[in-house]
Amino acid sequence: MQKSFAIAVPMFALILGLSAHGARAGDAVTVTDAYARAVPPGQPNSAVFMQLHNGGDEDRALVAAASAASDVVELHTHRMQDGMMQMRKIERIDLPAGETVTLKPGGLHVMLIGLKQPLQPGEAVAVTLTLDDGAELAVTAPVREIAAMPPMHGQPGSGQPMPQPAGH
Amino acid sequence: MKKLLPYAAVALLSVLLVWQIWFWQPVPDTATAAHRQLGLAAKPAGGDFRLQSWRGPVALADLRGKVVLIYFGYTWCPDICPTNLAIISLALKQLTPAERAQVQVLFVSVDPERDTVERLKTFAEYFDPDILGVTGSADEVAAAARLYGAAYRRSEQAGSAMGYAVDHSAYTYVIGRDGRLAQTLAHATPAERIATVIREQLAGT
Repeated sequence: MQKSFAIAVPMFALILGLSAHGARAGDAVTVTDAYARAVPPGQPNSAVFMQLHNGGDEDRALVAAASAASDVVELHTHRMQDGMMQMRKIERIDLPAGETVTLKPGGLHVMLIGLKQPLQPGEAVAVTLTLDDGAELAVTAPVREIAAMPPMHGQPGSGQPMPQPAGH
Repeated sequence: MKKLLPYAAVALLSVLLVWQIWFWQPVPDTATAAHRQLGLAAKPAGGDFRLQSWRGPVALADLRGKVVLIYFGYTWCPDICPTNLAIISLALKQLTPAERAQVQVLFVSVDPERDTVERLKTFAEYFDPDILGVTGSADEVAAAARLYGAAYRRSEQAGSAMGYAVDHSAYTYVIGRDGRLAQTLAHATPAERIATVIREQLAGT
């Protein structure tokens, strides 16, 4: 009886310990509702939007993105300053533990610069996201006409500032 | 002598009162003038301008009698401008053909360096065939923007493949049939609201 315990307890502890280490940060961050915006022919740039949920208990950040759909992929945000909408490249998008960060029109987005082909509804853009711990997330973003979507930000009749970007 | 003191006090106070009412200014006139120059408090007056499109010159004065919507932006803008033009085109689709015939939407590019009139044609028509893209020299565009209080500024984006972005206020300016600036709508004002505003202007309310 004692001999079994002597083996079982350490085995149990080992298994528990291993499974705790086994959860990669890449598993903790999930992407939902990713989409790319359809653009007029000849327009060289577009944007990919999505929701990023960090289900883990460690803060993470999105630090890079790549796609074969364009020459360059950067992280960008918009802010309202001096009465003007300013779009700026940012180095990271913070993903605090337990929170959901939304990339949406008028705010944070993954920007595709130098499209290699026009984006048409019915197609999809493959994007690889890189997190600060090196984990990579493969995202498939279907192309959508934004005209079909209701505006997701701002209040009618007021020019109020955009929410502050995370990780700026 | 003491008896005169109250009378003297009254006289002094009366003088002060008269001065207070008729001559005293809370702020010196020069400062008031300076405030007027700030422009933020002053409402833009609107007015006529003339720019170029793929089909030739476009003068706002020639559109008198129509309701005109003006949006200042640029085609390299991946998000704000497409969003607003998409919403405007949704608003146009809510109008009857008879109403649409009396509305003109102008997309003014504040980036004439990259936005040729041909490029503007392709861009604007993607959203709606009735949206007309116009631009001009840097001075002409600046003059038009100034009339409407549209702010914009080129911003070099070192470290970004964008090259440069153009920061810009994202309002839609509504010009009534009389050619006067009637309303300024915020960025991403919903299509239903825009359609309502257009109808109000068509009705002359």
